[in-house]
Amino acid sequence: MLRRMKLGKYVPGNSLIHRLDPRTKLLGGLIVVTAILVNYNWPVLLLNTGLIFMVIFLSEINLPSVLRGIKWLWIIFIFSFLAQCVYTQGNPLFSLGPLTVTIEGVYRGLATFLRLLILFLSSTILTMTTSPMKMAGGLEALFAPLTRLRVPVNQFAMLVTISLRFIPTLIEEAETVTKAQKSRGAPFASPKKLVRLKTLLAVLIPLVAGSLQRATDLAVAMESRCYTGGPHHSRTKNLRFGRRDLAALAITAAVSILPLLYIYCAALPVQSLQNLR
Amino acid sequence: MGIAGKNGSGKTTLARLLNGLLLPSAGSVMVNGMDTRQRRHIREIRRQVAMVFQNPDNQLVSPVIEEEIAFGPENLNLPLREIEIRVEEALQIVGLEELRHKSPHMLSGGQKQRVAIAAALAMRPACLVLDEPTSMLDQTCRQGILDYLRELNNRQGITIILISHNMEDLAGAGRIIVLQEGSIVRDAPPWEIFNQAGQTLDLKPPNIVRLAQMLRKRGCLLDERISTLEQMENSICRLLKSTT
Repeated sequence: MLRRMKLGKYVPGNSLIHRLDPRTKLLGGLIVVTAILVNYNWPVLLLNTGLIFMVIFLSEINLPSVLRGIKWLWIIFIFSFLAQCVYTQGNPLFSLGPLTVTIEGVYRGLATFLRLLILFLSSTILTMTTSPMKMAGGLEALFAPLTRLRVPVNQFAMLVTISLRFIPTLIEEAETVTKAQKSRGAPFASPKKLVRLKTLLAVLIPLVAGSLQRATDLAVAMESRCYTGGPHHSRTKNLRFGRRDLAALAITAAVSILPLLYIYCAALPVQSLQNLR
Repeated sequence: MGIAGKNGSGKTTLARLLNGLLLPSAGSVMVNGMDTRQRRHIREIRRQVAMVFQNPDNQLVSPVIEEEIAFGPENLNLPLREIEIRVEEALQIVGLEELRHKSPHMLSGGQKQRVAIAAALAMRPACLVLDEPTSMLDQTCRQGILDYLRELNNRQGITIILISHNMEDLAGAGRIIVLQEGSIVRDAPPWEIFNQAGQTLDLKPPNIVRLAQMLRKRGCLLDERISTLEQMENSICRLLKSTT
């Protein structure tokens, strides 16, 4: 259970990507994701895929560890690909019984696959190269204007950090409680679904009670270390938006947005591909 | 300095009064001349009186050790350079430099407690209050933490206030205060407390003290002021020298 949670976990490092301002990475990710969600023309998708792999390469994180998370996504990828292949109308490529696979369908399936891949990789690489505290600081700084509207941005950033911190602890506790209940004969493996559900309750209730206790303790500990819920001046002020960041954002914008503009402004001979929509 | 007492004797309440987590309903708590009831002093009081709690898991805020230690200084709004220096220093004192990028859930209980101590030290406190810091640790970790505390006291000159119901923990203290139902019943050096402990205070003295008591009953001329193994050693050596 713990092994699986390592997906997207922060990997300490000192690469170019690690040193980028968290805001740059957040905005960059947002741009890429928006670009591929708005439009899925080939140039956009391929350029963005290229960009993501470039970022992975620059972050000096080994590719297998990033791709490990995809293992579970393959099923979704393949299903969506197959569904797109079969259900898209167009020129038939070949027939398999009652099912007809169309050329458009294959294109569309591949596009969906790439889109999902980009969505997954961009978020993974973001969390893998940004430490949670920096991320919280970045979010805090990005959403700072909202404080004027009385949105408690600082508290929200703290909330994110704390939940990140306690996810593994809670999993551990859940395992302990499960074992404890098992040792007292809780029917976790019962064939009846209702019984299993009720048994799950026996894990859930101690877990919730335990986390409330934890929350109280943590609140006291935080208060004793001068936390007042106010803005983290040092954390947000210490972010530096340098030339590096400007360059990174410029590249991302160029890769993601320019093709979009190009396609929309000048109706291209990519017409045939546009028909896919 | 140690604070001892049974469950419900007010040890934790006293600790929380010390840095303004609780405010007194009557009377006042003064910390270096500052009243804890005054809001504007509260930050400085909490900086000077740092606390470490019982459960090592429930007092760590951040998913990364380094940032955990930076949490206190960050709340004091220090500049980045200063925070880095303090984190480095605190890590060095507790000897956890190689674990700086790790996440708290990957550490053992003793290591977590050391992180909590480092986090408290990063605020450069004058005084460190530890509320039963060893009660959830095993014997070896417990001894390790106690050794750290003694070293801190000697080297950095930080006052350590250790709250415990376990007399073994308090054997190295310079002074012990015993609480009973919310009031102080004894305030004396450890050996004095320990020698009365069995009869009047309902506390179990450390094993080494009981050994000394038994030996004295058998007629050995051991010093009454023994509360640690080291003192026992010295006392026996002196005894041997005087007889030969």
